[in-house]
Amino acid sequence: MSLLSFFQWCEQSGIGEAIRRSAWLFPLIEAIHLLGLGLIGGAVLVVDLRLLGLGLRRQSVAQLARDAQPWLIGSLVLMIITGSLLFLSEAIKCYYHPAFWLKMTSLFLAIVFTFTVQRKVTMADQTRVRPLWGKVVALVSVLLWSGVGIGGRWIGFS
Amino acid sequence: MSGRLITLLPALVLVLCYLMTAPDQAPAYMAQWTSEVRRNVPVPPSQFASALARFVIFRRAAPFRATLLEGNSNQGTGSALLNFFRRMADSSWSVGLHESRYAYDLIESIHVWALCLFFGLAVMFDLRLLGWTMRSVPVSEVARRLLPWTAVGFVVMVISGALLFSAIPLRSFQNIFFRTKMILLMVAGINVLIFHSGVYRRVISWDLDLTPPRAARVAGALSLVLWVAIVLSGRMIAYNWFDCDRQPQPAIINFLTSCVPTEAEH
Repeated sequence: MSLLSFFQWCEQSGIGEAIRRSAWLFPLIEAIHLLGLGLIGGAVLVVDLRLLGLGLRRQSVAQLARDAQPWLIGSLVLMIITGSLLFLSEAIKCYYHPAFWLKMTSLFLAIVFTFTVQRKVTMADQTRVRPLWGKVVALVSVLLWSGVGIGGRWIGFS
Repeated sequence: MSGRLITLLPALVLVLCYLMTAPDQAPAYMAQWTSEVRRNVPVPPSQFASALARFVIFRRAAPFRATLLEGNSNQGTGSALLNFFRRMADSSWSVGLHESRYAYDLIESIHVWALCLFFGLAVMFDLRLLGWTMRSVPVSEVARRLLPWTAVGFVVMVISGALLFSAIPLRSFQNIFFRTKMILLMVAGINVLIFHSGVYRRVISWDLDLTPPRAARVAGALSLVLWVAIVLSGRMIAYNWFDCDRQPQPAIINFLTSCVPTEAEH
């Protein structure tokens, strides 16, 4: 099965059909998706600002990362569920939209980066991590998540 | 302190927005009226719109008078503001932004990005007030380190939001979700004000509490609910279910959007 036919199958699925047919289902899911984005933004920024030395300073990075983790994962799950529903309703449009592919690429990279490289840096003993390395990691994280958010917004623009 | 500023910002931006976009293009025949009108401005008392009008008229008496005379389709509530936004919609700035290929989308993206900064961090602070995250961090520390960022985010949101509004002023002004959002923004501002001038003044005594006192938790929960509602209503501005040009609408909707449908639309 080619990628396009998979997208066509998604578009023709019952859920996609139902969302398309309803006047308010898409806006509602979209709005929840947006709230999830805001929450992810908060959870990511608390840790990244700490790494950059621009936010909280006295607490250990590891402690903050642990505090933010449930909210990050919770909102990520919410985003993926609502995002998949939105996707099902307009899969073909997404297939041909560059912003969709930009978003999926950044999303993949952001998730991998957050749960491998960044986790390793935040959980490591801070005396053994060079501050510069922490800042680079935080910047990459902010850039990748920004790509996800802005790419997502541009799927809506034709 | 910063809470007080935040409540004033929307009003300030509205005024700035007008001063920026109002063109000095009154019909030629109006120009000679200027000096006369300035002495004799028809301002009906005790209305917010007219108070704003009075403020604006100091600088631009003639153009404003011109629209008051010309706008004859809406005599109902808020007609001065309505005319004011009608003029904004006619400005070259608004039309340019509205018709641009990328500017509008770009500003919209900035608005969404700043939402993460503002809403995200504000939510994290509210969650701390509720005792649901960062429990080992003193509340005052979170406030001192993170709230400046929410202020930055808020300023970016207000500026980009005002630009988005100026691209489609008339429709937005008559959009029921936009109106809801503005009212909720004021309520959220009052909540911030009450929190900072009330229980937060005694923060030293509960700084390290795993679960802050009731008043702080109420403020946090209220803030959470209000900002969520503001984001939701903001997102819904894009939909035209209750727009003025989609009649018939229930009378209550037309009242709330100060919309006066013409006879043919009834």
